[in-house]
Amino acid sequence: MPGIEEIKSGLNKKFKNAVVAVEEQNPTRLFVDIKSAKVREISNEIIAMGGRYLVSIGCDNISRDGTLGMIHTFGFDKDGIFLSLRTSVPESKPVMDSITPDIPNAGWSEREFMDLLGMKFTGHPKPKRLILADDWPEGVHPLRKDIPWNLMPPAAEDVAYQLDECPEGCSIVPVGPYHPTLHEPAHFAVFVDGETIKGSDYRGFMTHRGIEKLCQTQLTYNEIPFVAERICGICGSVHATSYSQAVELAGGIKISRRAEYIRTIMLEIERVHSHLLWLGVAGHLIGFDTVFMQSWRIREPIMWLGERITGNRKTYGMIVIGGVRRDITPEIKEDILNVIGKVEEELLVVQKAIQGDSAIHRRTKGVGYVSTADTVLWSLVGPVARARNVDIDVRRDYPYAAYDEMKFDVPVFDSNDVWATLLVRLLETFESIKIIRQCLDKMPNDGPILTELEAPIPALKHGLAAVEAPRGEVVHYVITGEKNAPERWRVRAPTYPNLQGVPLMLLGNQLADVPIIIGSIDPCFSCTDRMEIVDLRSGAAKTASRRELEELSRNKR
Amino acid sequence: MDILIAVINVLIFLALAPLFEGVVRKLYAKVQSRMGPPIFQPYYDLLKLLGKETLSAGNWAFRIAPMMALASIITAVSLMPLGYTPGFLTQYGDIITIIYLLALGGVSVLLGALSSKNTYAMVGASREMVTMIMVEPVLAMTLILGALKAKSLAIDASIASSLGGSYGFSMVLMLVVFLMALQAFVARQPFDIAEAEVEIMEGPFIEYSGPGLALFKYYMMIKQMFYAALFVAVFVPLVYTGYFFVDVAVQLVGILVVFVLIALLGSTNPRLRIDQAVKYYAILIAASLVAVGLSVYGI
Repeated sequence: MPGIEEIKSGLNKKFKNAVVAVEEQNPTRLFVDIKSAKVREISNEIIAMGGRYLVSIGCDNISRDGTLGMIHTFGFDKDGIFLSLRTSVPESKPVMDSITPDIPNAGWSEREFMDLLGMKFTGHPKPKRLILADDWPEGVHPLRKDIPWNLMPPAAEDVAYQLDECPEGCSIVPVGPYHPTLHEPAHFAVFVDGETIKGSDYRGFMTHRGIEKLCQTQLTYNEIPFVAERICGICGSVHATSYSQAVELAGGIKISRRAEYIRTIMLEIERVHSHLLWLGVAGHLIGFDTVFMQSWRIREPIMWLGERITGNRKTYGMIVIGGVRRDITPEIKEDILNVIGKVEEELLVVQKAIQGDSAIHRRTKGVGYVSTADTVLWSLVGPVARARNVDIDVRRDYPYAAYDEMKFDVPVFDSNDVWATLLVRLLETFESIKIIRQCLDKMPNDGPILTELEAPIPALKHGLAAVEAPRGEVVHYVITGEKNAPERWRVRAPTYPNLQGVPLMLLGNQLADVPIIIGSIDPCFSCTDRMEIVDLRSGAAKTASRRELEELSRNKR
Repeated sequence: MDILIAVINVLIFLALAPLFEGVVRKLYAKVQSRMGPPIFQPYYDLLKLLGKETLSAGNWAFRIAPMMALASIITAVSLMPLGYTPGFLTQYGDIITIIYLLALGGVSVLLGALSSKNTYAMVGASREMVTMIMVEPVLAMTLILGALKAKSLAIDASIASSLGGSYGFSMVLMLVVFLMALQAFVARQPFDIAEAEVEIMEGPFIEYSGPGLALFKYYMMIKQMFYAALFVAVFVPLVYTGYFFVDVAVQLVGILVVFVLIALLGSTNPRLRIDQAVKYYAILIAASLVAVGLSVYGI
């Protein structure tokens, strides 16, 4: 590949003194160590070379060399190369230039590590709290290694997040923290003039689970895929695959081809179910419950299929480091073909109905407009970006699992609105069905589904993996550790960058468009917050036997 | 006998409005491949809500508004000649009274919303106000058209004017306009803008609970049935036998058909935005003005 050499020589030539080392892990992964003073310039140079900002990873190296590390990651979509820009600052003076003024999407990542690691970024346009609760004490940075994972500081009173200033003549309509549009806790303060939106502010992370910290301290490599699945209720396999791939890359583990095919099938089944789910939610958000009910009815067989294959309707627990846990037998293969055939048939009817429905056009066309240039500037991902004429798809650009052998189209539209997002998702569902058919067709019949590890995973290796979730790309970054657990694990779900683009989408629209605009990115605050809600009303709980449960659900009583 | 007819009128509306609501809910469910609640669910809902504690989120106006809404619609119903037989009260009002009474119901909703001081209620109230301003003229024009044809402002005469055989093109135009405005009158999709659950969480009614909410729900159901009944009485004079109960029964069947229409339209349309709806209403107002203008020339 010519790209990687160009990037290397370009950086070496231009920043001779700042680039400390360049490590080429494989032809698609490049790690560049730089001095912290030049971080902003080098980042800008990478963007100028055609890079797209992904996410930043902060890590604590205090016990090793007294520094706090910062890793900015970028993707070169045309060449299929991921680049990680690694730098560090001493703990005594943890200050570096902010890259946010040029790359607005880095804003949250930097704020996150201001909160969690106590780093400082000069020139950050909005250095407010992002992740920590408003009553969390100053100066306690939970991601540092000397802070125990289960620290619970006492709650303080009379502290509240200060919202951005409301423009003059506007009034604030609060959307959230609990609102029927959102389904999860997050607060959008929408500034409206009459019904027209003049601005907004976001305060989320109300239910941060601290999964990264938990897994770095309490769990081992092999337990984490199951926690990773629980990051999100919809993209379970996506997170597990992404984490497993990151560890496999860092540790140099090769898995069997059959396992890769089974992973691909699971990922695509998940996409079909997720797109149908979203279609329903979108219908509900514009007050069209018939679309909601019908698309969820079509989705139901997919849930049964998931249960047939893995034993669970969702949160499949299928993917682990080294491969998958269950095989796809010929009978199940038959089932899959039947179900996706039926879904395709019914979906065609839905597609026709939606494309011909002028009322839906009225509610979605021109709504949530963002120009293509702004979409690139804000590094939006997934269907949101593809609906705005940005042709990116991790499955095609950075093939993983079995996607290198799959033939599929990536739908891209240029009307830059919610309607295009809807079309992208609708058409992608058909592509997914195509991919599943190809997988079943080409899948090799031999090979173990799970590769046993021969040696322990070496420490302090870096691994970066991206997987195309239904909502966009998921990025996992793993730094391997010594105690059979990662030293640092960073998750970036697609909602993380897309949510930062929501104020842009809201601007100038009507209040009635708020639900569908926020809904159009398919927000998963859970992914962003990385938390979990457990219902503990067990006081008078009645235990039902498995038989009773089955009867309840299957006999449709 | 005249007084009895007014009472029967009110009783029929009070008793059947929730049933028709149940029919609509069942039909919605059928279109959406669901089972749907039992057809009598709206009765249970009302009973349950009535049995709850009264909570107030505002001043006296907040507590009075639901009663005022229900009272205004019941008064309108008691004036209405169901089965083309005027009741005792019909002679004491005219079509202007009917228009005022219906507007009073809308004003009560606004009053309740505004006195609750909730942000969502405010947004809902402003949308409700716009809707009222834009669709009330269509109702007024419908009644005025009848009055012009009957050459009288009396309720029974103007409502029954189409019985006299003077149907004409203006009547047909008005029928179409009324049908198109029907969803807005009864606040169903695509015009349930003021209550939009996902954006402003039932808007004007957000702070209401218990008996207050029950009265508002009852008001909405009766209002829904009133508009359906008005439509049947004015535009679809199927039979006029002269036997009171037969006429009433025929009208009720007509009302049921209108409700089926409401449910089908509602379940196959997404909610519109208020700015889009206003454009739509504007066309309706213009068309209804044309219809009235035509009727002056006897067309």
